[in-house]
Amino acid sequence: MFSRLLPRAAPRSALQAQQQSLRYVRASPTTSSLFHAQQRGYATPSEEKDLVIIGGGVAGYVAAIKAGQEGLKVACIEKRGALGGTCLNVGCIPSKSLLNNSHLYHQILHDTKNRGIEVGDVKLNLAQMMKAKETSVSGLTKGIEFLFKKNNVEYIKGTGAFEDEHTIKVNLVDGGETSVRGKNILIATGSESTPFPGLEIDEKKVITSTGAIALTEVPKKMTVIGGGIIGLEMASVWSRLGSEVTVVEFLGQIGGPGMDNEVAKQSQKLLSKQGMKFKLNTKVVSGDASGEGVKLEVEAAKGGKAETIESDVVLVAIGRRPYTKGLNLESIGLETDTRGRLVIDSEYRTKLPHIRVVGDCTFGPMLAHKAEEEAVAAVEFITKGFGHVNYGAIPSVMYTHPEVAWVGANEQELKEQGVNYKVGSFPFSANSRAKTNLDSDGMVKFLADAETDRILGVHIIGPNAGEMIAEGTLALEYGASTEDIGRTCHAHPTLAEAFKEAAMNTYGKAVHY
Amino acid sequence: MFASTRVLMHRQPMIRFIGKRSIPQQVDHAPHAHPASPDHTLPESFSSYRQRATSHGPLGGGQQRVASSAASVPSTVMSPYGAIGGHSAKQLGSVKPASGEFWDRSQLPKRFQRLQWSEAEIEAIESGGASMHA
Repeated sequence: MFSRLLPRAAPRSALQAQQQSLRYVRASPTTSSLFHAQQRGYATPSEEKDLVIIGGGVAGYVAAIKAGQEGLKVACIEKRGALGGTCLNVGCIPSKSLLNNSHLYHQILHDTKNRGIEVGDVKLNLAQMMKAKETSVSGLTKGIEFLFKKNNVEYIKGTGAFEDEHTIKVNLVDGGETSVRGKNILIATGSESTPFPGLEIDEKKVITSTGAIALTEVPKKMTVIGGGIIGLEMASVWSRLGSEVTVVEFLGQIGGPGMDNEVAKQSQKLLSKQGMKFKLNTKVVSGDASGEGVKLEVEAAKGGKAETIESDVVLVAIGRRPYTKGLNLESIGLETDTRGRLVIDSEYRTKLPHIRVVGDCTFGPMLAHKAEEEAVAAVEFITKGFGHVNYGAIPSVMYTHPEVAWVGANEQELKEQGVNYKVGSFPFSANSRAKTNLDSDGMVKFLADAETDRILGVHIIGPNAGEMIAEGTLALEYGASTEDIGRTCHAHPTLAEAFKEAAMNTYGKAVHY
Repeated sequence: MFASTRVLMHRQPMIRFIGKRSIPQQVDHAPHAHPASPDHTLPESFSSYRQRATSHGPLGGGQQRVASSAASVPSTVMSPYGAIGGHSAKQLGSVKPASGEFWDRSQLPKRFQRLQWSEAEIEAIESGGASMHA
């Protein structure tokens, strides 16, 4: 019945040629007003897409590729001018490049003689280190563009905003504007660093993680506000390159929520040995960046004697907040919660069922791999009516040295929930491969249900923890017992044997410890 | 080989091969709170939007329609979220209004309603689109 009320196709097609020519030239306010919410068929600039995605970050581009693979007509709008979002451009990927190369530099400086390697004069070429980072980033972002072409995804470079419930107006990066209609719309606009009140971010002296991966010289003194994963990774990079780094954390432990207490303490101890200083249970009262450096007034979190910390650079790493600015959400009545997250249901739908949200701008941990999972699930809900993400089995990794990784519940959470659990652990100091690598700090720790032996959480601090946690995540996803892991053959000599032995130590006894 | 077979027989791992994955036959698409949502509830707007959106037509599940054309449609029709997503369109029956039922154009979604002509639009048509480039 509704279709009879729609404008007929014939007159529209007659104007199609004209529409094509109009598509990228609309710029003046007078002309754009023609294309307002209630536009007529003849003015529709392009065919309706099955899915329009706002944001080309990890969530957005994965959804776009998946939708293309499923045969949907899909467009992805990204304003950065490069795909991959925060993760690829200014987050996970560039930081991993710097972490890896700074670790090599640090190791060459401090850990070669006892390995029988005599090294001559070692110098840091920071510009080249940054160039290596940029090469990795550009290679990966171009790779996504290739995947877009391969999977017939239309890539629109511009800033998208809702014109109405089905139409997105895009201010194009190259000038002009266009609009694109979608039967379904996916919001995947990600997050941004939370600013610290009273400190203006200039990305030179007062920096976020974005500035921390682009410093042009090694600061003599650096203070990091926030001892979470991002803060500690960046602190590691600059500490290894020669900075005197102090981490100020409001809570009583580093690592942020989720990290097991025992692991956090061990990690702090090892990072302190590398030269980092920690001020826990400490709050930053105020900051002053008007001078040559930055002065921070700090005091004990529960009140106490004030202290001034002076540094050349202050990294603000107190967390991230959802980024939905400029989407014109108000015009279609989409709601955010008190923390700015878009409210969705279990199928990622907003109150408007055809508009879904995935990634950092909605519920759940702000992790790239969580966003990817959600992107695939959201597209599957559209195409197949069924998708799946297990929020109980999402791993977290901190890429310091040693790495820290975990999945599932930690001890403090299990205690809070009153779960009867058992603990088993195995130190890397008793693992043959770690010993031969002369890299044996850390341990693997299992938490399992005391009655059923089902794995509830896995916590690793040690070499290669970020790779090893995949085995723990798989086990958790499958509902494995620690005995299942302990009775599975692991190659010798490998670091993974520590994983097996920790499992053995949970339901019985480890052999080598 | 026999030794390993004996070991396998002795212990039955919790991880078992359960066959190829398939989409469940029955999926409840009615909105539920997101598992990672802090308060595990959906705001009132979810139900009110759906109630408004389904106040006409087959999604609304007007009593006579449920009885006549979609008798097999189960209880979610009566849920606070209407029938959106709860059932396939086929299950919900015809979109034709029942005998004696008439809809006013103004009751349809906004995109199906009459549009007002603007001066700029009239000018654009009269000038063959030239005014849009002025």
